[in-house]
Amino acid sequence: MKRRDFVKKTATITAGGIVLPYILPSGRLYAQSNAPMADHVVYVLFAGGLRQQDSILQRYLADSQGFNVEGNILTNILEGQAPTSKIAYGTGVNGASPIPKLLSQTIQKQGTIFSEMRAVSGGHYGGLNSLITGSGVAGQGLKVRPVNPTIFEYARRFGGYKATDTWFIGNGIGNSTPLLNSSKHPDFGLQYGANFFAPNITFGSDGMAVLSNAKIYHPQEELDPMYKMKNFLDNSFNIKKGDLPGIKNTDDERTRIKEFIKATFERQAAGQLPMPPVSGGDGSTIGYAAEVLRVFKPKLLVVNMSNIDGCHGNFTGYLQAMHRADHAMGFLWNYIQTQIPEMSGKTIMCFAPECGRNQKNNPIIDANDWYGYDHGDANSLRVFGGMVGPNVQSNLMVGSEANPIGRVTDFSLTIAQILGYKSEVQAAGLVEGASRSLFDRI
Amino acid sequence: MNTHIFKWIPILLILVFFGCKKNDNTRYDVLDTTSYGDNLNKDKSKSNIEFHSILTTNLFQKPSSINELTRTDRVIQSCGDKTLINEVIISNYMNSPTVKLPSRQRMVDSTEKFIEETYIRFFIRRPTEAEKTWFINFINSNKSNPNFRPEIVYTSFAASDEYMFY
Repeated sequence: MKRRDFVKKTATITAGGIVLPYILPSGRLYAQSNAPMADHVVYVLFAGGLRQQDSILQRYLADSQGFNVEGNILTNILEGQAPTSKIAYGTGVNGASPIPKLLSQTIQKQGTIFSEMRAVSGGHYGGLNSLITGSGVAGQGLKVRPVNPTIFEYARRFGGYKATDTWFIGNGIGNSTPLLNSSKHPDFGLQYGANFFAPNITFGSDGMAVLSNAKIYHPQEELDPMYKMKNFLDNSFNIKKGDLPGIKNTDDERTRIKEFIKATFERQAAGQLPMPPVSGGDGSTIGYAAEVLRVFKPKLLVVNMSNIDGCHGNFTGYLQAMHRADHAMGFLWNYIQTQIPEMSGKTIMCFAPECGRNQKNNPIIDANDWYGYDHGDANSLRVFGGMVGPNVQSNLMVGSEANPIGRVTDFSLTIAQILGYKSEVQAAGLVEGASRSLFDRI
Repeated sequence: MNTHIFKWIPILLILVFFGCKKNDNTRYDVLDTTSYGDNLNKDKSKSNIEFHSILTTNLFQKPSSINELTRTDRVIQSCGDKTLINEVIISNYMNSPTVKLPSRQRMVDSTEKFIEETYIRFFIRRPTEAEKTWFINFINSNKSNPNFRPEIVYTSFAASDEYMFY
């Protein structure tokens, strides 16, 4: 071999040796900017407007209805004694039976709570957008995708994850919920979007009528030629990127999701789905999220709850929904730790509401003559959030009423740091300027 | 008065001879034919309801009720991968005893005709020569697979990107 050829080949092999390790089997092209802190993230969007006074401040009816009754009704999340009178937040007749606590140790004891954070919007859509994108953009219309990339797109683009590694489980298809699995940002968009289910529809009576009788085709003899023909037709049509009607899974992923849909209807009929002991509403959404976790073990799953928003016209129902949401979240954390060995001890769960609620009540009274609360004033920017799991400091409370620490937009960078691509998200420059990883706030 | 009439006769004769024109019977031998569009101009996405209204009419030869279409629309909205959920819904349709499909025999015996009919049925256009050749080869290479049926071909067309546009 000539010397020149030898030098050329040696240089090529050396360069390949340096570059190839960064092209991971998943297709990832970026070196991780930081070591991952956990393999999985579960992010709970804790309901539709949670009033700080009634939740983490544990004032129960004292700061809302004028009764001197305080106490903690988020018994799985927070430390604190439950109210001792005027019990209406439980189940059964008049909500008189509180749901037994599920976790042996509260989330507060196991993890870190940011007791006084700031939301960027006092409304649902702006609030959900800020939680999902980390961006402070306000003024987006309803029924449109977010302007800036979502945490799913960051995860798929910078983490190299496939579509079934990222899931958004919605509480319904109202407003913009089904559009939050991807933004319309030209550098990200649907090609990096997450899978989405609104289980109360997908697996409710509508889905039962439309999906449950679907055939499961033979993978080699039926699905393989079907996908080959479809791929040929799609290549001939050459759809433009901006015209994609939804996210795209690979053929193998599509087969897995179809089998999941079929199996879920069967497990539903057999009563085998993992539902919280007290289910229905948000509890049911959480149960289906647990089923997605069990089957797909995704890297990032976001689940949205909303029943708490009934506070506009039914304060008693709001208290009950808050108590049930705590129960459902406790169930989800316990399920991950005890029923999914691949995720147990390797998952960080984050949670926060999209906004708080007003300081003053509205004039609507419920069956207990208790006043409802809307959201939109300065008090509705007061929220709390937290995280729990490996590499999260346990039994830590950060911030106070006098010293607010953290913003809801922080979760985008926090999740990026947990999964190992924080600097790429920062470099993209599309999260709110004031936001930081919550780990950097401690 | 008679003299006045004779003045007008030459003018009338001029009008008769030069006002008429012989028919031009040139023939260009252009045949009447049904035209089908190509896929280049399909840039409008069908709504979920339009998509399934057209599809069910196609597969069952009768339109669905608005209640069924609305319900289907809600289910599609509840899933992030629209093509995937459409495939599941299509396979649900294929499981119905009233779906109208050509026989496997027809697909195998008259492959070229079957392909042309399928393209026209779903895409409202004829296949290009390249498309036709690819499908003829593909169907021929799958003849020995007993599970390769018109249902599989129809599903791939109904689930294709082009079928979502008009």
